[in-house]
Amino acid sequence: MDAPGKMVKLILRDKEYEVKPGMTLLSALEKCGILSESVIAAREGELILDDEILKDGEVIKLVAVISGG
Amino acid sequence: MRQHKLALCKEHFLDWIPEQTARFIKKYEMFTHHEKVLVAVSGGKDSLALWDILVRLGYQADGLYIGLGIDGGFGYSSESHRLAQKFADENGLHLHVVDVESEYGLPVPVLADITHRGKGRPCSVCGLAKRHVMNRIARDLGYAVLATGHNLDDEAAVLFGNTLNWLGDYLKRQAPVLPETPGLARKVKPLCRFYEREMTAYALLRSIEYIYEECPYSAGSKTTYYKELLNQLETERPGAKLTFYTKFLEARKGGLFGEPDTNPTMELHPCTNCGQPTSAPGLCSFCRLMERAASVLPGTSK
Repeated sequence: MDAPGKMVKLILRDKEYEVKPGMTLLSALEKCGILSESVIAAREGELILDDEILKDGEVIKLVAVISGG
Repeated sequence: MRQHKLALCKEHFLDWIPEQTARFIKKYEMFTHHEKVLVAVSGGKDSLALWDILVRLGYQADGLYIGLGIDGGFGYSSESHRLAQKFADENGLHLHVVDVESEYGLPVPVLADITHRGKGRPCSVCGLAKRHVMNRIARDLGYAVLATGHNLDDEAAVLFGNTLNWLGDYLKRQAPVLPETPGLARKVKPLCRFYEREMTAYALLRSIEYIYEECPYSAGSKTTYYKELLNQLETERPGAKLTFYTKFLEARKGGLFGEPDTNPTMELHPCTNCGQPTSAPGLCSFCRLMERAASVLPGTSK
């Protein structure tokens, strides 16, 4: 049996979320209750798309896109 | 970009955005390469991206930053100004700066507070001050066009709010271009068909440093709420926001709301203080606000 992977961390402003590795970014955002339309995700400074598979232990930075009042 | 059924690499995305902007500028007859454009720059992603795009497209575009005096505990206005100036300096561009407190005596939040306008938020005073200053600078310095960074999400949220309340006059006037009238500069929104997410991606990929923190007064605003609602819809139905807006423009052009009313037919009068056009004889809204402020705090500039 494979050892369980390290959790993936998603950071949006001052909030942190954790999901299991191996799921797509879109699934991870849904699991965290974040609308994919409202954020852009970056892995090590590179933007990634909704169908990207999240890997063991990585940190994904989410940039909120909504501005204005 | 599910809404466009399009997947682009970084390089092609960074070409696609200006190409599409050029197409919208032409389609809506916003301005030509012979006209001087004043870009209203807030230090946020959209307006800085707009300035970047217009310069890349070869337009004569200068910036205008308006210091509103909003702090929010983290120097919101001063940081916005720093980033707008940084962008201008790094790209060899000219940025006009107008500081509301220096010119008129009080920062926007204090103006709103002492005049009791805006139900505890300075947003309506902020909008009024920005419109007044933008038009004054465009007119005084000879700019044919005033360009703002409103994106599709901004336009869809405004449209949603106006539709919920059936504000017919506002629906008739919402358009990518508001033609010039005597004393009022032409106003254009070249980014009105780009998703907010696309503009964020553009700013990040172009390494444009912008103010990420929200205006401290925008939390819980109706616009933000409408944007979130529309994003729920968009997530389920890719393309919904774009369809909502573009079909509105088609319906408006087709006369669904009566004759499109982007060119006010009402008689305008010059404000007796500043000279800017106003609908009623006497002082314009901004000068009335300043008059009220001066009656509370003598010494405030009219």
